Amino acid sequence: MTIQMYTISWRLSLVKEQCKDPIQVETLRQEIARLERSRFRGGDRPISSGCVPLDRLLPEGGFRRAALAEWLSAGQGSGATTLALAAARQACRDGGALVVLDRRREFYPPAAVRLGVEPEELIVVQAGSQADEHWALDQALRCRGVAAVLAWPERLDGRTFRRLQLAAEEGGGLGLLIRPLVARGEPSWADVRLLVEPLPAASGATAGSSSSAAITVGQAGHRPKVGRGTRQNHIARPPGRKRRLRIHLLRCRGGAAGRSIDLEIDDETCSVHLAARLAHPAAYADAAGA
Amino acid sequence: MLTRPELKGQAVVLHETQRGTERIVACSARAVALGVTVGMPLAEATALAGQGEREKGEGRREKREEGGAKRQSHSLMVDAKPQAAFPLPSSPLAPRPSPLAPRPWPLAPRPSPLAPRPSDPLADRRALESLAEWSARFSPIVGLENSTTPEGLLLDVTGLAHLFDGEASLAERIVRDFARRGLTVRVAVADTIGAAWATAHFQHSAFSIQHSAFLVPPGEVLPALRPLPVAALRLPAETVELLRQLGVDRIGQLEALPRDELSSRFGPELLRRWDQAIGRLVEPVPMHGQPPQLEADCSLEHPTTRRETIEAVLEQLIGHLAQMLLGLGRGAMRLECRLDCISVGPARAEPVQLSVGLFRPTAAAGHLCSLVQMQLERLRLPGPLSGMHVAAATTAPLLEEQQELFSLGDGLARRHARYLAELVERLSSRLGRRSVLRVRLLSDAQPELAWRYDPLVENSRHRSSRKQSPAELPPRPLRLLRRPVALSVTSIIPEGPPVRFQFCGRSDRIAQHWGPERIETGWWRNHTVGRDYYQVETTTGHRYWLFRRLRDGRWFMHGTFE
Repeated sequence: MTIQMYTISWRLSLVKEQCKDPIQVETLRQEIARLERSRFRGGDRPISSGCVPLDRLLPEGGFRRAALAEWLSAGQGSGATTLALAAARQACRDGGALVVLDRRREFYPPAAVRLGVEPEELIVVQAGSQADEHWALDQALRCRGVAAVLAWPERLDGRTFRRLQLAAEEGGGLGLLIRPLVARGEPSWADVRLLVEPLPAASGATAGSSSSAAITVGQAGHRPKVGRGTRQNHIARPPGRKRRLRIHLLRCRGGAAGRSIDLEIDDETCSVHLAARLAHPAAYADAAGA
Repeated sequence: MLTRPELKGQAVVLHETQRGTERIVACSARAVALGVTVGMPLAEATALAGQGEREKGEGRREKREEGGAKRQSHSLMVDAKPQAAFPLPSSPLAPRPSPLAPRPWPLAPRPSPLAPRPSDPLADRRALESLAEWSARFSPIVGLENSTTPEGLLLDVTGLAHLFDGEASLAERIVRDFARRGLTVRVAVADTIGAAWATAHFQHSAFSIQHSAFLVPPGEVLPALRPLPVAALRLPAETVELLRQLGVDRIGQLEALPRDELSSRFGPELLRRWDQAIGRLVEPVPMHGQPPQLEADCSLEHPTTRRETIEAVLEQLIGHLAQMLLGLGRGAMRLECRLDCISVGPARAEPVQLSVGLFRPTAAAGHLCSLVQMQLERLRLPGPLSGMHVAAATTAPLLEEQQELFSLGDGLARRHARYLAELVERLSSRLGRRSVLRVRLLSDAQPELAWRYDPLVENSRHRSSRKQSPAELPPRPLRLLRRPVALSVTSIIPEGPPVRFQFCGRSDRIAQHWGPERIETGWWRNHTVGRDYYQVETTTGHRYWLFRRLRDGRWFMHGTFE
C-alpha cells in the first residue's frame, strides 16, 4: 500500500507539472487521502478538539485516535498548551488517563484542573533526562489505559518520532506534543501539525482596562487594605479576559493543509470560540509540503 | 449465623458486582428453597423472594461472619499411601451450583424475605484462616485451598488415621466438631488433594460414610473420579465450557482422549489438574500458619557477568517467590533485590541493592521480573555476580480492595486500571517512585503551595483532592516557573500596573493587564508572602503572570499562560 501511495504521489507531481488539469489533480489527491486514511483501522470516531471551528479545520472533524498531534508554539505564553489540554480532556471522556510528561517541572496542575482535567485521571511523570523522557513518552503512548499524553519534547530525531508514532498506533491514545517554533523545519511523523500564534488584543480593548482589584488572602485574619474586595477569599474577576489566537494547520494526513483560523479563549469559562474575524485563507499554503 | 443470629433461617444471599450487575455469589438454603441460584441477578432474586414468601421450607443451618460467607473444605492425606480428604466443611451459605443433597436442619418455618448482603471475600478469607488454625486439632498440616478466593481447607492426614480410629471416624469427627461450631461441612478423604476436592464438591452418593463425609478408599481414585463432572478437576470455567461444547461432561470421558491432544487443545492446565487428581503429579498441602519469610536466594558456584545467566537466575528466584506469594494469596508491594558481587580490585565490592515498588499487590512472576530487569539494564555491576537475594519486603492480600485510579466500576475502567497500574509500575521502576505522581490540590493561597504531588506506587494512603469545581479556582498559568524570575518593570504610577518589562533580553510592552490579585499569606508559617499578581498581555498577544513583591516593590515573572 505504501508503494501504491508513492506511485500516486509521484504521478501527482508529474500531473501537476505537465498537464495542470485541476480535475485530475484533485482526483489523485483524493485517492492519496483515501489510501492514507485506510492505513488506520478502527475508524473510530475522532477526538474533538473541544472547539467546533478547530474541529472543522481538521480533516476528519477532530484528532484521530492512535496518532500524534504536534503543536508548535510561537513563543512562551502563546496558549498552545491550553488548546492541547482541551483536546486531552475530550480524549479522556471515554475513560483512560491523561499522562503529562513534565521534564521541566514547570507544569502547574491547578491550572489544568481549572481547565476541566480531573485530578484523579492525571498522572504526572517527571523524567530526569531526555532519554528517559523519550522512553516514558513511548511507554505512556503504548499503554492502552492512557487516553492522552501531553509532553514538551525539545528535540525529537526522526527515528524517535517514528517510534512514538508507532507507539501511539499500538496504544490507541492521542499524543499531544508541544514544541517550539524552531521545530517547524524538522520532519514530522505527527498526524497533524498545528502552529499556534497569539494575536494582539482586538483594537477595541484598552490597556489597563480593568480597574477592579482581585484579592486572594490566606486563611485567617488580615483584611487587605488595598482594592475593593471586601470579603476574604473573594476573587473579583474583571470581565472580558479573552485572548485571541491564530491556528495554522501546517500539515495533516488525509486533508489539505495551509488553512488557518482565529480563535478566542474565554479565560472565565475556559471555552474556546471562533474569533469575530473569520478564517484566513491559505497564507501558509506550502509550509506543510503535503 | 454465630455472630449474626438474627439472620438465622433467613434467605440470605451474598452479592457482588459482576459486569455492572449485582449478581448472587452465594445463597443460603432458605434462599435456594425460594428458587434463587448462584449467578442470578440480585433484582431477579428479590422478585422471586417476593413470590415465594409464603412458601415454607427447610434450610440448612448457616453461619455468617461479618459480612462474609465462608465455605470451607479440607484435604487430608491419610495412610502411608497418601490419601487426601477434602472434608469440605461446607458451604455454610453457599451450596455449590451442583445439586447437593439437602440436609434437614429444622428451622423455625416463617416467611422470610430475602436478606441481601454484599459479598466480602476478604472477610471470607480471614474467617477461613481462623478455621484453619482451629483445625490444627485434626492435623498438624492444615492449609487453605490454593486459590485467590479459597473456599476450603486442606488437611494432610497421612499417618494420622489410627489416632482417630480410622479415616471414617476421623471424617465423622470433623463433621461433628464443625457442626458444634455451627458449620455444616462436607468432608472427603482421598489419596490426592485433587480427588478429595472433587469428591467433596461433586460427589453425593457413592463412597458416602455419612451424608456429608466421603471416603475414597486408597487406590480407587480413578473409579471415584470417572463419574464426576469435568468441573471437579478444578478447571477454569472457559475450559469446562469448551469441553462441554465438545460433549465431554464426565472425567471418565477425558481418559479416552490422547494426552498430547488434550494439552494442545486445552492448554497445560487441564493435564496438570488431571495429573494432580490421579496422583501422577505431587501436590503438597500448602501449609497455613506463620507467614514464611518471603525471600529466595541463590549463590553461584561460578561468578558471572553474563547478562543471560543473571537474568535466568533472577527469573528463577522471582518465580519461586511468586509461587510462595500465590500460596498465601498475597502480592508483593515492594520487592527488594540484592546482588552480591565479588571484588575485582582491591576495594571490597558493595552489594548492589534494587528496589521495585508496585502500585497494587502482584504475584505475577513475569511482571515482577520485567520490573527488576528494567533496573538491571541500567546498572553496571562492580564485579562478577556471586549471589542474588530476592525478598518481598512488603506484601498485601491480592484480594484487597484495589486502589483504583478510577472509581468507575465497569469492565472497561477496570481494564484501563490494570494497564495503567502496569505502566505506573514500569515508569516508577525506571524513573524512581518520586517521578511518577498524582496530583492533590490544596487550599493554599500561595500559588506554589496550592497542590502536592504524591507518588503513585507504594503509597498506602491515597488521599484525594479537596472537591472543588473548576470554576472556583482562580485563573492560573499552566506553566509556573520553579522560582520567580526577577524582572525590571516600568510602571507609570508607583505601585501601579506594569507598562513595560524586560525578559530574556527582550523588552515587551504590555497591551493590557488584569489585576492586581493580592495574595497575602503564609504569616502563620513564619514566612509571610505578600504579592500583587498581574496577568499581562504583551502587544504581541503573549500572556505572562507577573507579581510585585509588596515588601520591596520588586517585580518578578512567575509563570506563562501557555
